[in-house]
Amino acid sequence: MEELLDKIAHCVEVGKINLKTPFPPAMKGQPGAEELTLQALKEGIAPAEILTQGLIKGMEKIGVKFKNNQVFVPQVLMSAKAMGTAIKHLKPYFSDGSVAMKGQFIIGTVEGDLHDIGKNLVAMMVEGNGYEVIDLGVDVNTEKFLEAIKQHPDAYVGMSALLTTTMTNMEQINSAIKAAYPGVVTFIGGAPVTAEFAQKIGADYYTDGPQELVEILNRISA
Amino acid sequence: MTHKERVLRALNHEETDRPPFQATFTPEFADRLRREFHLPEQRTEPHHRTWYGYDLEILTGQDALQAGGGWVTNYYLKPENYTDEWGVEWKIDPYETPFGTGHYTNIARNPLRDDDDLAMAYKAPDPLRPELYRHVERLVREYGQEYYIIGRVHGTLFETAWALRGLDTFMTDFYINPDLVCHLLDETGNYHRRMCLEMVKRGVDMIWLGDDMGAQQSLLIDPDLWREFFKPRMAAIIADIKKANPAVKVAYHTDGCNYDIIPDLIEIGLDVLNPVQTECMDPAVLEDKYGDRLCFFGGIAVQSTLPYGTPDEIRREIDWLKGTLGRGGGWLSAPTHHVQLDTPMENFFTMLDALGIEDKRPR
Ligand code: B12
Repeated sequence: MEELLDKIAHCVEVGKINLKTPFPPAMKGQPGAEELTLQALKEGIAPAEILTQGLIKGMEKIGVKFKNNQVFVPQVLMSAKAMGTAIKHLKPYFSDGSVAMKGQFIIGTVEGDLHDIGKNLVAMMVEGNGYEVIDLGVDVNTEKFLEAIKQHPDAYVGMSALLTTTMTNMEQINSAIKAAYPGVVTFIGGAPVTAEFAQKIGADYYTDGPQELVEILNRISA
Repeated sequence: MTHKERVLRALNHEETDRPPFQATFTPEFADRLRREFHLPEQRTEPHHRTWYGYDLEILTGQDALQAGGGWVTNYYLKPENYTDEWGVEWKIDPYETPFGTGHYTNIARNPLRDDDDLAMAYKAPDPLRPELYRHVERLVREYGQEYYIIGRVHGTLFETAWALRGLDTFMTDFYINPDLVCHLLDETGNYHRRMCLEMVKRGVDMIWLGDDMGAQQSLLIDPDLWREFFKPRMAAIIADIKKANPAVKVAYHTDGCNYDIIPDLIEIGLDVLNPVQTECMDPAVLEDKYGDRLCFFGGIAVQSTLPYGTPDEIRREIDWLKGTLGRGGGWLSAPTHHVQLDTPMENFFTMLDALGIEDKRPR
């Protein structure tokens, strides 16, 4: 069983989606995260086990490699695809309660800003580490953030901005969130954003990338 | 010394009276500047328009003037939503700054995103239509004696291809659909290669190639992917340009952190690197390692110092850049992107002053 879960983790880490996909070349013609997940279910391994000991393990590994600049965005996207394809087969077990998520995470790129590669990467990594992600997309204004929090009052909130002309909107959004929902924990990030800026606008956390964010989430949600 | 001589000398690694300067602006920053000079507003990006008179460039002491070409000129094309001739759909998104409301034109739909067959059958438009070059002809004819002329063909390969396909999709296509990647890069690359050659024929001094390959702390894609898919295509374009006219300089614009591919760029004959975001790459390291083989174009930080710096910090930044990128010539000074609307006017004119450019605003 452990061996199978390790294989699943490996597929996610290297971005091996399923039998059909030619990547990575060394694994051509071999089963991928999808087939192995189905096999694990058939062998009676608990879905929660497959998720935490297989898929999430793989995502954790690629997250660390990305943080250390050992891999780049395209490979993380491949890992996320492998995980996303496999996790579909576990979804039925999420609703019946046999798989518990660690928490909920709302994320969006703030109003006026269309850069979404970083935001998507953060969303994938947070999801890949066992959280339910509510992705509001790009150009997200205060109302949309507040509406999402209303529907998911226990969620953490992440905001992304890649422009000096739009990161200022984080201040307004963050204040509105804190005024309406003082208990909500907020995270901000993106190329021009800094820890000092987070402090100045009263956001709870700034991190350089998704790996540190996940580490904080795991700590505060434990 | 004419403006043109100043650039030529700098690019020849000679010291000049002051660093040569070039800049572009977002439409609303341009209009704020135009008001400073008592010029009428324009609300557009003018570098591919035949009517444009380059008044703002001349008044701000610029030594190089640029004419845009290729898919990228579809940015800021119209004040309302539009579809460009490549099939990319655009929308207008307003944003607020302390200096008023700005508008970005943003890609609203990538036409080849979900359809592999459509993507494999895609054909770029015709690059040889004479009307695409009228503005270049006029720029060279009217200003080419005194100013250094840049043909800016940004989005040469990657950006146009991903505009058609979607950036996230394109990034996994490298692994899942390499043939599709090659097809789109060949379509966009050939279009822009032809365009470069037409511009060279019309007498430009420099060709600006460009594709943003860098993120803040690393490349966007693996250097190996860049070497496999982009390097050979760029090498061919640069070789063709040099064959058409060896005196034409080739610059390459790539935002962010590009340390990993600079030696490759030098190897394939690149002359000038733009925009050198100093938040992402250290200008002292660049000058030490590559300053003898590469010129630098840019450096003045639109992501930090220009919008947020104090006038003192701006002066210090220019001095720092003069002493690094500009040591012994080899630096064409410029902001690292269009000057954004959040930039205080005082900062802009402090930058000019620090570069040694006279303030020509009417008093
Ligand atoms: C790709 C890109 C684009 C693409 C975006 C495509 C897309 N789908 O996202 C396009 C071409 C559309 C684009 C457009 C523009 N861009 Co742009 N772009 C970039 C570029 C080259 C890379 C950004 C990127 O994708 N990085 C890769 C990802 C993985 O990194 P990341 O986003 O930084 O995210 C990481 C971290 O920041 C963090 N993170 C991100 N979000 C969050 C959120 C949380 C909660 C946390 C904790 C962490 C976190 O984790 C991520 C992974 O490590 C940067 C250059 C740079 N230095 O970053 C310029 C850059 C951001 N762009 C710039 C500009 C000016 C623009 C335009 C305004 C140009 C114009 N028209 O004038 C437009 C604006 C469009 C708009 N309204 O948003 C400037 C901004 C300057 C400034 N003053 O801030 C930059 C810095 C380039 C430069 N030369 O200065 N751009």
